[in-house]
Amino acid sequence: MTKVQIIGSKGKLEATLRALQRLGTVEIKDVTEHGPALVLPRMTLDQAVLAQREEIGLLVTRLESLGALLPPLAKTADLSRLYEEASLKSTEELVAEARRVLSEAGPRAQSLALRRDELEAEQASLTRYHATLRRVMPLAAGIPELGGYETVALLIERRSSGVLDLIRQQLNALTGDHFEINAQHVDQETTAAIVVFPREQSAQVNALLGRENISQLRLPKELAGVSFKEALATMAARLAAIPGEIERVREELRRLGEEWALWLALLRAALGDRLRGIEVVGQVGTTRYAFVLVGWMARRDLGALKEALAAAVGPQVLVGELDLSREEMKRAPVALANPRPVRPFEFLVALVALPRYGALDPTPLMALFMPLFFGLILGDVAYGALLLIFTVLLLRRYRQGPLRSLSQVMIVCGLWSVVFGFLFGEFLGSFGYRAFGLKPLWMERSGETLMSLLVFAVAVGVAHVMLGLVLGIWEAVQARSRRELSERLGKFIALIALFWLLAIVAERLPRELSTPAVVALIVGVALLSAPMGWLGGILGPIEALGALGNVLSYLRLAAIGLSSFYLAEVANQLYGMATNAAVGAIVAVLLHALNLALGIVSSTIQSLRLHYVEFFTKFYDSGGEPFRPFKQSGV
Amino acid sequence: MDLGTGLLAIGAGLAVGLAALATGWAQARIGSAGAGALTEKPELFGSILIMLALPETLVILGFAVAAMIILLLKAGA
Repeated sequence: MTKVQIIGSKGKLEATLRALQRLGTVEIKDVTEHGPALVLPRMTLDQAVLAQREEIGLLVTRLESLGALLPPLAKTADLSRLYEEASLKSTEELVAEARRVLSEAGPRAQSLALRRDELEAEQASLTRYHATLRRVMPLAAGIPELGGYETVALLIERRSSGVLDLIRQQLNALTGDHFEINAQHVDQETTAAIVVFPREQSAQVNALLGRENISQLRLPKELAGVSFKEALATMAARLAAIPGEIERVREELRRLGEEWALWLALLRAALGDRLRGIEVVGQVGTTRYAFVLVGWMARRDLGALKEALAAAVGPQVLVGELDLSREEMKRAPVALANPRPVRPFEFLVALVALPRYGALDPTPLMALFMPLFFGLILGDVAYGALLLIFTVLLLRRYRQGPLRSLSQVMIVCGLWSVVFGFLFGEFLGSFGYRAFGLKPLWMERSGETLMSLLVFAVAVGVAHVMLGLVLGIWEAVQARSRRELSERLGKFIALIALFWLLAIVAERLPRELSTPAVVALIVGVALLSAPMGWLGGILGPIEALGALGNVLSYLRLAAIGLSSFYLAEVANQLYGMATNAAVGAIVAVLLHALNLALGIVSSTIQSLRLHYVEFFTKFYDSGGEPFRPFKQSGV
Repeated sequence: MDLGTGLLAIGAGLAVGLAALATGWAQARIGSAGAGALTEKPELFGSILIMLALPETLVILGFAVAAMIILLLKAGA
């Protein structure tokens, strides 16, 4: 990265910004943040530009709203060419075009979308009415339709159906036996009732029902006053017609989309670019006649930038690199640049934080170790193969984004699971051995080999943590940081001494070596404690033991792998115990599926944790800001 | 199986069981706080994942102690 200064006459600022945006290789920074070496006021926007910014913002919002009403834009081959053409237009032309599109397509799209929403709401409402009405229809069928009489339908919870007797008594008192109630249980929870009474008593009856808190089945307004039978027939006819109407409206929206969606998306993107172009002006410094723009960019793109500005703006714009101190360079934004196979792992590193500029990028190491640990934990041929199939399907579905990166990571993890599956001789646990004699190429995972597994996991931990410390020491030397060098070197020596002593206690090394081991431990702890001042006497030994804890944390590689193996064994044994083969097979498949799901999740999280907590803490200098170049947004 | 062996086996179970309870308790508290933080700042996912995974060392160490007891039992058998 390098920080550049672009200077030109004020009249060339717009053309310069357009060229920079098209190139997309410079992250423009606020000129006032550069420090005392460059003290300049920021450029202020005049009233006309402010008004233009407001109008463009409004137009972009309206174009986005209109775009949301239309079907999504189908990808066309020459999209990028059309976008380039749109980007070449002047801001005034784009604004005029956006106004035209909004006035021509906007009202039609809005009325169609409104009609579609109304029809969908009507469909939902009628479906609900129709279902309820059908439940009370058998009751209504037995009641003749009489002039001068009103019919209401009631739906009452079955446990409260005693309220009907109360209504019967009160209606008797109100109408003098000129009424009819027909009630029936329509399902386990509801009793439906049809009440017929003289129309002149309508107000009193409704007041009575209201008092008793009984809900009436009210028909839609347009069907008020119509008999239930007619209402049901009308609703059925309407429900049959609505899907066709909705489809016709959608078809019209599709046609409108075909006509306008592409142009709409292009205008939205081009005007959005102009908006960002205006906003960035506030970060540019100014003198009486010139503008001064500072920004970060990759040094390798500097030549292309000079050429592009010379071609687009002319010789009135100068580009120069700024001299920066080591501290200033630490604030440079970070863009990770890894080989293609390693790139999918970048997002796993960014999950914690990007490395500070100039610090070691741990992505290649993560790409090497993370899938290895994953495979070591899952370690089963069948599970690994199933994971591979699943991720290949995901890769076909997701062409970009974090899910594609995750799928690519999982492909490597699946491959290592298959490899370790052969090494441990596992295919759905021990099913492979019993079904086709699969034997471990290295060692089986079981209670019998527990000690070997634990020792192996600790050995992996020692290697990984030591590698982290070596990288940390190298980083400290590079940064000329005595404090970090002392801490990391001390931890490294103390850790070696601790394992040395453990080997003596376990009688793997002769007792005569204990004196140099103790001396090494004292030296290590002293180096570790030195930068901590008077607290070092307490914190130093704790830190040394913490490093030992980091190594023991790798025991999870054996522990979780073993638990996954035993769960697979439980599934196999349940299959063997079942009297019905089909039931046994279903239970075994379900349990294996659960084990696979758990295995994938826990293996991923545990391998990531070993990196983030145990490995990265030994060397990783995080806190980098991502590189966000000023560029076109694209369609 | 004699009483001593039985007690050792119970000890192994307690080592991993109590450690798992402690891990679960710690993870429950971190998880609920982390879920709250994630709704406001989704970019903290990585940091919260680390914090959530930290207490798991307890159960792993419990497992290591249990494994040592089991190996002791086997050596004695």
